[in-house]
Amino acid sequence: MRNRIGKRAASIAWPILVTVLLLLAWEISVRMLGIRSIILPPPSAVFEAMAERHDLLLAHLWPSLYLTMLGFGLSVVGGIIVAVLITYSAIIRKGFYPVIVVSQVIPKISIAPLFIVWFGTGTMSSLLLAFLIAFFPMTINAAMGFESVDEDIHRMARTFMGSSWQIFWKIRMPNALPYIFAGMKISITLAIIGVIVSEFVASQEGIGYLIKLAGGLLDTPLMLAAIAWLSISGLALYAIIAGVESWAVYWQPPSEAVGAGGGG
Amino acid sequence: MRSAAALPAPHLAPRRGNSGPIVRIAALQKTFGDIEAIRHLSFEVADGEFLGVLGPSGCGKSTLLMMIAGLIGPSAGEIRIKDARVTGPRREVGVVFQSPVLLPWRTVLQNVLFPIELLKLPRPQYRRRAMDLLRMAKIDDFAAVLPRQLSGGMRQRVAICRALVHDPSILLMDEPFSALDAITRDEMAVELQRIWQVNRKTVIFVTHSIREAAFLSDRVVVMGRRPATVIDELAIDLPRPRAIAVTEDETFNRLVRHLRKAIEASHAQ
Repeated sequence: MRNRIGKRAASIAWPILVTVLLLLAWEISVRMLGIRSIILPPPSAVFEAMAERHDLLLAHLWPSLYLTMLGFGLSVVGGIIVAVLITYSAIIRKGFYPVIVVSQVIPKISIAPLFIVWFGTGTMSSLLLAFLIAFFPMTINAAMGFESVDEDIHRMARTFMGSSWQIFWKIRMPNALPYIFAGMKISITLAIIGVIVSEFVASQEGIGYLIKLAGGLLDTPLMLAAIAWLSISGLALYAIIAGVESWAVYWQPPSEAVGAGGGG
Repeated sequence: MRSAAALPAPHLAPRRGNSGPIVRIAALQKTFGDIEAIRHLSFEVADGEFLGVLGPSGCGKSTLLMMIAGLIGPSAGEIRIKDARVTGPRREVGVVFQSPVLLPWRTVLQNVLFPIELLKLPRPQYRRRAMDLLRMAKIDDFAAVLPRQLSGGMRQRVAICRALVHDPSILLMDEPFSALDAITRDEMAVELQRIWQVNRKTVIFVTHSIREAAFLSDRVVVMGRRPATVIDELAIDLPRPRAIAVTEDETFNRLVRHLRKAIEASHAQ
């Protein structure tokens, strides 16, 4: 037991150590080479910006996070519903599923300007883009989870005269849980990308807007501070999902991850 | 043995010296596309009998078992259980598969109670029965444990308890010990015999192991290569309970030789 905790601590300690060393190297080289702050500010300047202008940063961070979580939530619900339809409807599985898969070759980010035309520069465009990007890996993973039930388990349930309703809730659903969480971990990062990109394209608020604005003003420390906040939030959202996963998928040893990828 | 008395009584009482066949298989035929898996297969199983179905791998024994379980239908002929024609899965049948097929998110006890949930039987009542079965299979200490923490042999014991929990009159076993190592396999055969002697179910035990069939069965039906049909039948008149040492006796080995010859003869054809 103590050994396991020790291993866990080491697995956290090493990356932290590397991060600290990289930041130190960055700080030292910027100072020694005399690089101007507009080009690359040292980490200390970024931290300073994060602290001093946290009002501005947080004011723009919240709307972005809110839209990210909303888009993500919709993609989870929508993805699971579509996955159920794919599992139970031959028409959808044979007709729509291939279309959904093939449509993934469209780089969804390129649709962002089109969304602006359709839905304006408001939050609707950001939300829809986040949803659209996050939806695909959710659907694929959930469908895979529902369908990957062992044939013998099916047979076993049928010998005990299990109804399809029982088979769905007592077998397919728990079987799909690890896959659904794998999908969620991909989707949350993609939802962030969706929101930020649409804020780049056209928006008057949000952390993506702030990054673009700071770039225009050549305020590089603010830009990096915004990116840092964004990364920290992304990491936190991911960690929350991973935490819920280890509680919900209690039967799975942490090393055995499942699921498919899916780009944005 | 001590736990035998703890099991809910009447339906578990020995049912020997009984009436006619509980399972009747008549002129059974099964084809998959062009492949004829089973041809004109007929035999009967007496109530309370332990029947071994012996045959080479891929001869259609598993197909036969799945048909008795009502999971697949015959192409011709029929299977009757208690005089009723089998058209789908039935309550009075319990199946043990080649792999334990436990649900990894359920504890041992929850796995054993799974059929009770599916069949919508009163859970509290069967909970006691499940615990009694686990005690009989000597895995009651692991009732609250997840399957991944169990060894292969223990998992298969759980699967046997699960197949018995709703008190079926017929237990179908599809090479249940074939994934286990030789030592565990012998151990499980002895255990199964003990469990069977307590419960007195009708058992149809499919295997490709001659020794296993001879050790466990009251009677062995030998199936030939595809298309499968009955090529021989042999009563195993060894006293019970049989210890694994029986397998070294001359009587036992004579039976094994007989079965082996029957199988070899079918190959020669």
